[in-house]
Amino acid sequence: MVGLSLGETHFIQGGIAQDLRCDGRKRLTYRPISVETGVIPQTNGSARVRMGATDVIASVKAELGKPSLLQPDKGKVSIYVDCSSTAEPAFEGRGGDELAAELSNALQRCLLGGKSGAGAGIDLSSLIVVEGKICWDLYIDGLVVSSDGNLLDALGAAIKAALSNTGIPRVQVAAGTSNDEHPEVDVSDEEFLQFDTSRVPVIVTLTKVGRHYIVDATSEEESQMSSAVSISVNRQGHICGITKRGGVGLDPSIILDMISVAKHVSEQLINKLDSEIASAEAEEES
Amino acid sequence: MAGKGGATPATYSPSPTTNRKKKPPIFKEDWVRPDGRGFHQCRPAFFRTGAVNAASGSAYAEFGNTKVIVSVFGPRESKKAMMYSDIGRLNCNVSFTTFATPIRGQGSDHKEYCAMLHKALEGAIILETFPKTTVDVFALVLESSGSDLPVVISCASLALADAGIMMYDIVASVSVSCFNKNLVIDPILEEEIGQDGSLMITCMPSRYEITQLTVTGEWSTTKINEGMQLCLDACAKLAKIMRSCLKEVASDSQE
Repeated sequence: MVGLSLGETHFIQGGIAQDLRCDGRKRLTYRPISVETGVIPQTNGSARVRMGATDVIASVKAELGKPSLLQPDKGKVSIYVDCSSTAEPAFEGRGGDELAAELSNALQRCLLGGKSGAGAGIDLSSLIVVEGKICWDLYIDGLVVSSDGNLLDALGAAIKAALSNTGIPRVQVAAGTSNDEHPEVDVSDEEFLQFDTSRVPVIVTLTKVGRHYIVDATSEEESQMSSAVSISVNRQGHICGITKRGGVGLDPSIILDMISVAKHVSEQLINKLDSEIASAEAEEES
Repeated sequence: MAGKGGATPATYSPSPTTNRKKKPPIFKEDWVRPDGRGFHQCRPAFFRTGAVNAASGSAYAEFGNTKVIVSVFGPRESKKAMMYSDIGRLNCNVSFTTFATPIRGQGSDHKEYCAMLHKALEGAIILETFPKTTVDVFALVLESSGSDLPVVISCASLALADAGIMMYDIVASVSVSCFNKNLVIDPILEEEIGQDGSLMITCMPSRYEITQLTVTGEWSTTKINEGMQLCLDACAKLAKIMRSCLKEVASDSQE
């Protein structure tokens, strides 16, 4: 991205102060969001989300594995993000690694809940096949195809849509196996289980520019930010994760105000996203 | 020792019955923490600066059984591959010794700690005072016993002060764990493993600004309020301890 001149900088900041951004939006308005599901047939679930010029793809793959020792009654979920150099020349080689790691850690923090498994967007107990021996491992991969700011919100939305699209094969465990042997399993080719994604949160990023904060910042607006707070809110209105970016410090009262603004914005975003996902699924079936 | 004794049976007998028995005691109302602290009581904090001779600044910190050593080098010339920068650069690295965790070599996958340490510190350092140069911060966790990252951040800010890097304020960091509806401050490793959610705050106490905030798990707004206030109060007390450590060194050198 080319650097901005001083005049452009003042124009952007002045516009935000006047509640009129470069593309005509208000401070708390999202760019148009479009969702497609089932874009990659080989995966168990996939989705593509476009937020303005930001374009991301999320896919879910399920494999049978062994549960962790600490939580033998729960399946495992991992989240990875790849910043493709098709999105931006700066991502060439290892240039995108730092951003990708930051995004994947933020997503894990927002979606996977605490270490005891409480508060996770997915019920991890539903991923167990044989307790202590066999469980489903979910691998969620996010790919950044085009980058124009607000990657975290777009990835969060794409993962939510991909999980809605996910079908996991039903597994039959062979009877008569003794306890200490490794059980034999039969994976069905026709029966699939689907997730209840009503508890998967959405991520709202509030970017502070000057003395105001905006939602869904573009690349240019992000270059003017002093700091940004990404807040993950679920349908029940609970906070599922918070991540702060940018180095400048924030007053605690501002953060609390950001949290209440994010809850308000997330209601509209969740409804919009759910209707987009529902229509995308319907379109895919037809 | 009590902590390790408690952890060993879980490692060697992973039967479901044993694991289920572990969890219920946490939710009882009359539950006492494994090391006898109250819910809102931090572990004893020990700081020492000047732990590494070769470094421009260094610090050693202990929070209970969590032991961290941090070295600061620079400001020094940036590598030529880096582009010109009007302000200074901050480079952070956090690593664990192989013997830091109860199971050998397990602590090496904390890659996100480097980025979080960087973001916590860059808001506090006056980067404009050393343009075109780089400051390196290297942190080593000697023993990991819960709440590692807050200890690393606090120790790193002390090391930067020891190196004479100009900062707006000292940086203090504390974390809180959530168990159902109870908040437990400065959790140890045993508590961290079973927590429902966690909240970590890094702040500059004199300026009353938060430079890093991380929340995991499901929280209500009132609970976040409560957790933030708990952390900010603890950070203010921690900052006093850190300042007295710096003053101690200054008065010693005058003698």
